[in-house]
Amino acid sequence: MKARLLAALLWLASVLLSTTSKAETLHYPLLPVRSDAPRLLIHGALDPPLIAPVLEDFHRRHPHIDLSYRNLTTLEIHRAFLSDGGETPPDVVMSSAMPWQYQLANHGYAQPLESQEAREWPAWAHWRHELFGITFEPVVIVYRKELAKRFGAVNDHGELLRLLERERDELRGRVVTYDPARSGAGYTYAVEEARLSPRYWALVAALGGVEADLVGTTGEMLDGLAKGRYLIGYNLLGSYAQAFSREHPELEVVVPDDYALVMQRLVFLSRSAGNPAPGQRFLDYLLSEAGQRVIGEHTPLGTVHPALEGPGSAQALRERLGEALRPIRLGPGLLATLDRLKREALLARWELEFRRGATSPRPHSLHPRPRSHHDAP
Amino acid sequence: MSVRNSLYWRLLAWLLLPLLGLAALMLWQAYLGARDTADRAFDRLLEAASLAIAEQVKWQDNRLWLDLPPAALEMLATDAEERVFYALYATGDEFVTGNARLPALEGGGTALRFADVGWQDQTLRLGVREARLEDWDQQERFEVRVAHTREGREALAFSLFQGSLARVALLALLATGVLVLAIRFALAPLTRLRRAIRARDPRTLAPLELALPRELAELRETLNELLSRMRRVRANQERFIGDASHQLRTPLAGLSARAELALRQNDPDAWRDALQAMRTTSASAAHLAVQLLSLTRLNNPEATPELEPLDLTRVARRATRHALSACQRAGIDLGVETPESAVIVSGIDWQLEEALANLIDNARRYGSQGRDDPCVTVRVNASPPALEVEDNGPGIPAHLRLMVLRPFFRGQAPGEGSGLGLAIVDGIARSHGARLSLEEAYSGHGLRAIIRFPEAHA
Repeated sequence: MKARLLAALLWLASVLLSTTSKAETLHYPLLPVRSDAPRLLIHGALDPPLIAPVLEDFHRRHPHIDLSYRNLTTLEIHRAFLSDGGETPPDVVMSSAMPWQYQLANHGYAQPLESQEAREWPAWAHWRHELFGITFEPVVIVYRKELAKRFGAVNDHGELLRLLERERDELRGRVVTYDPARSGAGYTYAVEEARLSPRYWALVAALGGVEADLVGTTGEMLDGLAKGRYLIGYNLLGSYAQAFSREHPELEVVVPDDYALVMQRLVFLSRSAGNPAPGQRFLDYLLSEAGQRVIGEHTPLGTVHPALEGPGSAQALRERLGEALRPIRLGPGLLATLDRLKREALLARWELEFRRGATSPRPHSLHPRPRSHHDAP
Repeated sequence: MSVRNSLYWRLLAWLLLPLLGLAALMLWQAYLGARDTADRAFDRLLEAASLAIAEQVKWQDNRLWLDLPPAALEMLATDAEERVFYALYATGDEFVTGNARLPALEGGGTALRFADVGWQDQTLRLGVREARLEDWDQQERFEVRVAHTREGREALAFSLFQGSLARVALLALLATGVLVLAIRFALAPLTRLRRAIRARDPRTLAPLELALPRELAELRETLNELLSRMRRVRANQERFIGDASHQLRTPLAGLSARAELALRQNDPDAWRDALQAMRTTSASAAHLAVQLLSLTRLNNPEATPELEPLDLTRVARRATRHALSACQRAGIDLGVETPESAVIVSGIDWQLEEALANLIDNARRYGSQGRDDPCVTVRVNASPPALEVEDNGPGIPAHLRLMVLRPFFRGQAPGEGSGLGLAIVDGIARSHGARLSLEEAYSGHGLRAIIRFPEAHA
């Protein structure tokens, strides 16, 4: 059990495009600076190619700050923050693992931010002025365009459920989604969806019915979809999927219009930050219109700032989808997600529903293949 | 108008200070009440959340099992976005699950206990629910502990307290207003009294007739007593002036009659007789005027010269020496008896000499009547210090002895005296703090005038 949890946490951290090259640390300025320059250490779970435009722009505005960015997995971030080891504690912590970030803030490890930007930040995207959601990333369905030609488009969960039940044989092994037991993100979405809709369990059963492939990252899912191994992927991280689909026009990205979970990357200023001023600057920058514009224009991440209305921004998505958007609520409910027994209970239920779907009496499901091994189609 | 000097401000200060103290007490009470109310209201959240969690606790795989409902935690966070903590403990304080190791709460017997606890530099409100599984075969006890930070409670307490603050402030304002009016109303009779006194004719000494509350009525009565004493004093003064002018008019009328009579004659001898008679009369009139003047001076309470220590025996001897020739002419035996040592009192020597001279003069005039061997004795007593002048004349009946001290009262025997002598002596005695009394002579015949001085303290 413990090993599985650990593995899940490790996988959760790597919600990244697998193809990007990995440099562990970014440093600005590139040349050595005076030793008394204010230091800022950021721990983040965002690959350097994604975060670099933001850091560069920040550095251009505040060249005197000695800025270091360490790219870690979300689990490493969590563990590095809580360990008392000799490493320099970070000033700013940025991670997409919402429950973990929330737990740290709830325990009082975050420092409140009293700036104008922090006060004006939308209420749904911050908690206590300590924890801020700086991105807006819906969870999406991605399918190959040929699927729509054969079976019709999939625009919401209801259609997906019907499609899975109707075309059970055609889709066997050609559907992919997160393994909630291995992926923290997948587990978080499962908890939220189970709360949102009782029909979620029917969907899990239908996924079990088509013997859906269960993987650990969005990257794996996109990769499989691009290679044609999968026809349809469920619960992919929208920001990555959007970027990926630009290079792979055969893929269609759908934000479900009945309900769509929205994930946010949460950032906070550590209470133990020795010199909070550069950290405050950085957070103010992330919350400012300028910083958000860089996020919106140079990264695939959606923006939150109410003044920005470009594609992928919270404003644009809200206009299009309205009430269907369900940002994961920044509240104590996230703590339940992290509860050990809760996790066991939910995973047990999930497994049960998934197996029930897989073993239900349908002619073609008498010999289910082991779900973790798939041959390429 | 300082607080010390104004009755109004004094009253206001003494009434307002306790009032403000009371208001402060009420505010403190209100603060505690608001806190208590907020705690009770928010404790219902802890109660509901712990119940919602407790309901999800079950026995599974031979251990306590909890399917934590997220809503139970959500309900612990209000608009104030409290930090939320929960934990499930099995018997023996054994941690089962939760996001914080929350402390146990001792005591109680009640299934639900609340307390403020310190936890990692934060103050948490902790609610502990004791429960047990209600299975057929499993009745394991467990504790659900939920806690959250106090921001929401403090915000509610503050807003409740703000309400009380406004009410108490309004009340205090009203009370102050009423107090100011009440004090003004209560002090109104004082103003009336002041106006009544100010509006009076300065010459009238009539009693004040003014309806006043009891406390001020006492003041009015005291004032009226003073006024009536002043009326008596003024009556005395008027009688004195009347008497004095009458006394002066008589010799002046005599003078003018005598002059008229003399003018009708041509005889120079008759003129001379008349002039001589007029000189005698005018001398006595002048003496009268001098005496009136000194009496007026003595009666003036604002002109009291400094008293100095002096020896009574010397005063007695000098006065006797001055009177000696006049007495010898009248054939009176004047003697002085003094103790060996000096008798020291504080006084003014010339006034005491004058008093003795007056007493000797009186004794000479009236005490020698109808005696072949008139004799006057000036005596000094050492303890208590006193001056005595004794004669062996007819004396004064006891019932007249007080009356003769009044100006112009001259006993039964008319003579050439002014009637002021004893009054002057009395005045001098008073200004020395001494008492003049008239008593019977030691021999039983004659009058003894005594000036008794207070016992010297020095």
